[in-house]
Amino acid sequence: MTNTLHRQGAAEDLSGDYVIFVTMARDVNKEGSAPKIHEFLRICQKHDPVNIGSSKMGTVLQDDVSFRDLATGLKDGSTSAAVFTDLDTLKKVLGELIEADLGISINVSGLLEGVQECCHSNGIERHSVEHSLGFWGARDLLPERDVLEINTLCGHGMVSFSLIRKMMEQVRMRRLTPGEAAEIMGRCCECAVFNTTRAERLLEKVLET
Amino acid sequence: MLEIDKSRCVGCGNCHAVCPMGAISLDTDGKSVVNQDECVECSTCYRVLRDEGYPPAFVRAVRSVLSFLRLQYMAAVDVCPTGALTPPDLEYPRSLRAAFSDPTVVHEGTGVGGRGTEEIKTNDVTGRLREGDAGIVVELGRPGTGARFRDVEKVATALAPLKPHFEPFNPVTQLMTDTETGKMREEVLDEKVLSAIIEVKTKLDKIPEYLQTLRDIQEETDTVFSVGVASKCRPDGSIPHEKWVREAGYTLSPNGKTNLGLGRPLFREGDR
Repeated sequence: MTNTLHRQGAAEDLSGDYVIFVTMARDVNKEGSAPKIHEFLRICQKHDPVNIGSSKMGTVLQDDVSFRDLATGLKDGSTSAAVFTDLDTLKKVLGELIEADLGISINVSGLLEGVQECCHSNGIERHSVEHSLGFWGARDLLPERDVLEINTLCGHGMVSFSLIRKMMEQVRMRRLTPGEAAEIMGRCCECAVFNTTRAERLLEKVLET
Repeated sequence: MLEIDKSRCVGCGNCHAVCPMGAISLDTDGKSVVNQDECVECSTCYRVLRDEGYPPAFVRAVRSVLSFLRLQYMAAVDVCPTGALTPPDLEYPRSLRAAFSDPTVVHEGTGVGGRGTEEIKTNDVTGRLREGDAGIVVELGRPGTGARFRDVEKVATALAPLKPHFEPFNPVTQLMTDTETGKMREEVLDEKVLSAIIEVKTKLDKIPEYLQTLRDIQEETDTVFSVGVASKCRPDGSIPHEKWVREAGYTLSPNGKTNLGLGRPLFREGDR
């Protein structure tokens, strides 16, 4: 999955949006990875991510998922993720993960310069990088920019354009706060890469217009 | 197929908004119905809308009373008041819709969930992309429009003359009948999914040709596709594909995905 690659937004918005995740390779280090995944989640949780979870069990935003379930219940090979909103925290998380030496692949999606800075401050060099070249084809099918920004916060596109518009409307009518609306949208994203803080900020703009 | 139990549905419309494909609407009887041709079996409606478990007769009675008082019944936005959504039990080829659209479903052929490929995320241990290689990913149907495999095939067959290495541990490649031509199994072509990723490996200097081919084919596709380019960094952390993408006249995103190289055993060139 290209998952978190195509997140949209101005550099200022993207500077508050970093997703860190673990992936295990079939036939290489998937077997026996469960304790490492648990440790990854434990380290991330210490630093108060705005979202955390795994597609195997869901996100802590969902009513029936607790951090305890994730940190003890995930099995070998469960891709897991956490979302942070600033570079300083990411640096600390990364430092602890390096020290823990989990031996599983760790990736970060976010501003590449910022991530590179984190690597250098922790004494490592990045291994591989992927860029987005944007959206091609029948682009007339795409929605307005603010809807697209929220939609791409979920890597698999589970937050529908119509739900985003509905949430904007609910916020505008003051039936939901931006925070409540962001959390409802975040529950659609099973992999826990949806940045609720960023979505909340985008929804606050609705109130300003 | 995902169904809505009409004996339970009270027509609140919550599932209409949640559906990423806009495949649910209000039928003439005032109850919701799924357009099965457009539904990609992602199960978002079933997973996200909490079943409040109210008896349908009770909800309808409450609504009637409220209506008599000129008040409107409005369910909370994240519930199905009566649990009317029925999860699907799918057979091939329709089961592909769930495999490519529901991130909780694991692809049988690759053992990976989501869109079914590890891509560069494990490149530190697999060596999928080595020095001099470029990885190009084309995700059809993303963001939010969905794609039929007919469109996926259109792009794959356009790329095939460039002699790419279609990644074998990728579920789209596994649906191809011939990787020389990019042709896919006939029975899957009309299946619709939330998105599907064509993943190829080539050499860095071939990037401009691939991008030109994608530019040429984009007018012929009925959906949107997202393009990504990846490579293994040099020892100083610089990114080899940047030069080739820029020279071809394209703009690179300021954000992207970074594999930190912390996986073990680390893949070393020449080892395997």
